Amino acid sequence: MASKKKRNSTEGKENLVSPFPDEVLECVLGFVMSHRDRSSVSLVCKDWYSADRWSRTHVFIGNCYSVSPEILVRRFPNIRSVTLKGKPRFSDFNLVPANWGADIQSWLEVFASAYPHLEELRLKRMTVTDESLEFLAHSFPNFKALALVSCDGFSTDGLATIATYCKNLTELDILENGIEDLGGGWLSCFPENFSSLEILNFANLNSEVSFDALERLVTRCRSLKVLKANKSVTLEQLQRLLSRAPQLVELGSGSFSQDLTFQQYAELKNAFNNCRNLHTLSGLWEASSLYLPALYPACVNLTFLNLSYASLQSAEFAKLLPNCPLLRRLWVLDTVEDKGLEAVGSSCPLLEELRVFPAEPVVGGGGGVTESGFVAVSRGCRKLHYTLYFCRQMTNAAVATVVQNCPDFTHFRVCIMNPCQPDHLTNEPMDEAFGSVVKTCTKLRRLAVSGLLTDLSFEYIGRYAKNLETLSVAFAGSSDRGMQCVLEGCPKLRKLEIRDCPFGNVALLSGLERYESMRSLWMSACTVTMNGCRLLAREMPRAKKGCPSLRSHPLRIIISMHGRLSR
Amino acid sequence: MGKAAHSSSSSIDSSEHPALSSASSSLYHQSKTKRCLSTDLRLGLTLSSSTSLPVHDALSNSGSNSREQPSDWPPLKPLLRNTLAEKGNNRQRPTFFVKVYMEGVPIGRKLDLFAHHGYDGLITTLAHMFRTNILYPAMDGVHFDKDHVLTYEDKEGDWMMVGDVPWEMFLTTVKRLKITGADGC
Repeated sequence: MASKKKRNSTEGKENLVSPFPDEVLECVLGFVMSHRDRSSVSLVCKDWYSADRWSRTHVFIGNCYSVSPEILVRRFPNIRSVTLKGKPRFSDFNLVPANWGADIQSWLEVFASAYPHLEELRLKRMTVTDESLEFLAHSFPNFKALALVSCDGFSTDGLATIATYCKNLTELDILENGIEDLGGGWLSCFPENFSSLEILNFANLNSEVSFDALERLVTRCRSLKVLKANKSVTLEQLQRLLSRAPQLVELGSGSFSQDLTFQQYAELKNAFNNCRNLHTLSGLWEASSLYLPALYPACVNLTFLNLSYASLQSAEFAKLLPNCPLLRRLWVLDTVEDKGLEAVGSSCPLLEELRVFPAEPVVGGGGGVTESGFVAVSRGCRKLHYTLYFCRQMTNAAVATVVQNCPDFTHFRVCIMNPCQPDHLTNEPMDEAFGSVVKTCTKLRRLAVSGLLTDLSFEYIGRYAKNLETLSVAFAGSSDRGMQCVLEGCPKLRKLEIRDCPFGNVALLSGLERYESMRSLWMSACTVTMNGCRLLAREMPRAKKGCPSLRSHPLRIIISMHGRLSR
Repeated sequence: MGKAAHSSSSSIDSSEHPALSSASSSLYHQSKTKRCLSTDLRLGLTLSSSTSLPVHDALSNSGSNSREQPSDWPPLKPLLRNTLAEKGNNRQRPTFFVKVYMEGVPIGRKLDLFAHHGYDGLITTLAHMFRTNILYPAMDGVHFDKDHVLTYEDKEGDWMMVGDVPWEMFLTTVKRLKITGADGC
């Protein structure tokens, strides 16, 4: 632990604000976990800033370009855990060019000298090379937890180094990365005497790992709580893993279809029967309805069910659901159709989050879910507050009904897959739908709109969505006024993503005051010009003048333009 | 990334909004200012970049072929998108066809067990297919000489009476079906 006591005793005794010794204050602050609250704490006064500074062990940086690693380590000397986010969210959808940046290496180099006892590193949308992973494995002897989400630039060789050298590893979480999969040998690199693993997630890697090595690993890691295997793990293998680790609380099964004998099926059912601690279940690649019933006993305590890789039909889905009465989060493919969603409404009264993904993510396709499935869920699941709903048609009336049934929405994301599609019954724009959302759901923090939308929808958003923090817009609006309404009206706006909308320089420049308090603005394929960007760049520093240097998240503005630009 | 040329869409303002015009609903898709992309794709129109159709232009970033699906819309994470694309070939509902023979009839039929959700549906379909009364253990009622019994061959090669085990278990082990005379049991 770096040396601490720097009591500013030379300061005049205005320290009436904090009558406790530093140790007490730091101890109390230790209970303040949320990074936003911590930031607020540090702004109270110098003593509190100092106490926070010395006691902070975990730091969250939402935009890796907002602060340099040198400044970070200077302010917080005792960090054990770092969470870093790099590229903007639209990079998930191929809207950000490669080689954009957000490389972890420069951070690691600074951490190696300033935080030799670093234990946890969680990265999202950063570029991480195998060399960086090797550097990590060798620089931090106490390293415990590595989570890489939507990162790119590394291969399974990098994972092999982590497995080989991180003797105290408790967590290895590799999720949805652009990883070069050179084979499953990395898993065999965990030494035979290594047994500290608690979380292992390699669900999104394709190569087959040595099942032998995996089984031995699972057997000796008695504290293993989370295991998410990839689809090369068969049902029969899964059964063996489960019987070794009945204490699992989160399971990502491998492939869920195989020709089992009757005996094997019985063993599988038995294995699931012994796993009643599961609260999260995912995987189920190619789930065959044949074997789903084996799962039923393990679903009794399930709170999160992720079926986004299992194309279930409505009937088998409807049979599965009554076995999951405690379900709070459900991710499913639209192959279950409206009928499946009706079953959700009747079987899952505690549901808080529903995500419905399109099995056929094509514009102009058919099938999937409609507005009636959405309404059916809202009728039975009154606690619903998070939805991500991909559909091919929607109506204003349906959305109004949904939010009337569930007024507590905090995250409302509806994607009508055909851009600019109106209410399919009345042929009107979808303005009233999102109007009803913002009027009724006063706690709304995140909104994604779609369908045919005029400026009216944005007027509504600006007028009513007073708690809105994130807004995603595509193919919507009629003029600059739309974006202006949002920028002027939403005081808590932090992230604004816009693509393919008729918003130009006037709209862009109208947000100067708002940008102060935002984390990022993304605009692509709008009608902003280079001139507009230059003006913005000129005006922004001026706008920032009044800001104290304690701001933690300088705005990132990304404007991407293609094709002809008008003067 | 090379998106197709994006013409200025600042001409779109609400006064020209198709939905506000008096045109009937079916004419919406043919409105000049804004078109529904799906219609264009269905009609196989190739549109030049000089038409002000920002939607179409923006989505044809993957090439000049207007039928290619864009990789940035709808906004799905690449992993999920790729997984679903792989599955795209098996877009049909899964099926499980087994052979069904009736005693005394040399030509058999084939039946999709996945299209049924339980024994009742199966028996009904078979009774209709072979025009006979079929018995199985759960049934009540009077038996006649002319009735038939449904049996199946399981994975171990044994011939068993249909209906004793739960439907799901039956599906894991059945290989084919035979309708035999009731007097044999």
